[in-house]
Amino acid sequence: MNVVEIMTKKLETIDADAPVYDAIEKMIDRRIRSLLVMPKDERDVHGVITVRDIVNKVIAKDLDLKKTKVGDITSKPLVCVDKGMDVEYAINLMSKFNITRVFVCDGKEIIGIIALLDVLSAALIKRAKEGHRA
Amino acid sequence: MLERIFFGGKREQKVIEDIRKHLQILHASSECLKTALMERDKERLYCIADLEREADSVRREIISMIYEGAFLPYLRSNLVRFVEIVEEALDLTKEAASDFELMEWSLDEDIRDECLLIADKNAKMSEMLLIAFDALFGKDDLREKTLAIRIYEKQVDEIKGDLLKKLMDKEVRTFWHGKMLSDFADYLTRISNVIEDASDYLVIINVSLR
Repeated sequence: MNVVEIMTKKLETIDADAPVYDAIEKMIDRRIRSLLVMPKDERDVHGVITVRDIVNKVIAKDLDLKKTKVGDITSKPLVCVDKGMDVEYAINLMSKFNITRVFVCDGKEIIGIIALLDVLSAALIKRAKEGHRA
Repeated sequence: MLERIFFGGKREQKVIEDIRKHLQILHASSECLKTALMERDKERLYCIADLEREADSVRREIISMIYEGAFLPYLRSNLVRFVEIVEEALDLTKEAASDFELMEWSLDEDIRDECLLIADKNAKMSEMLLIAFDALFGKDDLREKTLAIRIYEKQVDEIKGDLLKKLMDKEVRTFWHGKMLSDFADYLTRISNVIEDASDYLVIINVSLR
């Protein structure tokens, strides 16, 4: 199965200069666990901020959510898979880097995201379809 | 032996075949709606109305065969309810198609992606419902199929949330434009709920067969 078939196209973004509190609000409002962090300037690259980053790097250290910038805890660079790759490849990457999501890229453009739950859902649906007569 | 008592008779086999046909019509109708929305294809809308009429006659046949004595009495009401729920999904598909026609076969660009995604999931769910029905009388695990349906429903729910947010921010040109848009979104997003209800009924039927 191709990564494009199971990716989520909706990418929620946030600026690196925004306070972590804004990121939390966005995640709660949209019911998501990660945000794509926009590059600060032309020399910068995209990054990602996850709930895990917020808990481990800000809340656990008792830092101020409104004073800490998203850019301070962003993970960079993004782990990307090409749009032509199989889901198995994405799973291997997640396992290798111990991450729960990878981005799908078309050249330099980020076109989607695959989270562990997407992989699990796709695997269960594939399993349910197997061996069926039309 | 037990299998023969439950569904081995000629009448029972005919009912099973007809329910299968009914589900195939639902799948075909969902695919038609998906293509109609995607390609703005007027002809596809006519096929939905035709399929709904065909489904009506298949449903009547199934129900009369059941009341003429197919299946053990305690199974009949659940089977009839299942068929009625599938019919509800077909009706919603037809209503969504009618509103799409009144909207002159076009979707506003800002909600198009969500509507297409939901139509696609609806089609996949209807296909999975057919697979689940086959599993009920075959050797496959029904639980796996109904889980797949619930996964699809959850995905539709998430898209529905995004769609509703966009609709709430939309400027409505006239009362009727707003009403049609709202009704269309309502019908389109309810199909998955109804298919999930149908799959729940399959689980009930499965339990009552044990």
